[in-house]
Amino acid sequence: MNFWEKVTGSDLTRDWKAFGARVEALPDDYREAWDQIVAHLFPYGDFTGRNLTPILDSALGLLEVSVADGQSVHEVLGDDIQGFCTALAGGAGARTHRDRWREQLNRNVARKLSRLGG
Amino acid sequence: MDDLTEMLKGTLEGCVLEIIGSEETYGYAITRQLNELGFADVIEGTVYTILLRLERNGLVQVTKRPSGVGPPRKFYALNDAGREELAKFWAKWRYLSSRINRLKEGGR
Repeated sequence: MNFWEKVTGSDLTRDWKAFGARVEALPDDYREAWDQIVAHLFPYGDFTGRNLTPILDSALGLLEVSVADGQSVHEVLGDDIQGFCTALAGGAGARTHRDRWREQLNRNVARKLSRLGG
Repeated sequence: MDDLTEMLKGTLEGCVLEIIGSEETYGYAITRQLNELGFADVIEGTVYTILLRLERNGLVQVTKRPSGVGPPRKFYALNDAGREELAKFWAKWRYLSSRINRLKEGGR
């Protein structure tokens, strides 16, 4: 990613377009699963969502390979798409909004406590 | 056997390491092998997230190979760190299973 892409987000637009084209090629039930994956991964995104790109790319890769194997989407992902996404995001080291809120809260409490103590 | 998932959780990573250790292989084949072994509930998504974790922890060597149909596949083989981790897994397993068996036999 160069400076221009970083400022304009043009690389993100390009990545999403590429994803869209790949998703179009998937069967209906797989496309539905993809939408769910995107929805469940969204909270793991940082401000721009750029950290999600590699995670989504690997998830889409799995779907594509599975279609080629002739598997049903249920055989691949089961019922727990949310759990799959948590494992996926956790595995890639993505941090969630919740983690950041928690840290912020901890920091604020610590500051207030130290003020009280001082 | 039903409802093995919870018990399997902690050991599945070791099982996957063992399978990769015997020959270089890919996600779908690993899932099939586990299913044939009797772990019918194991799905590809689960194996896939384990493989990602092994990759991130630097335990496997990953090679992308073109497949007959569809996109290229990732093939996994153990590296030295992976073999070390596998040996540790079996040591832990021996410890755990011997203790549980002892418990079942009445603490002898």
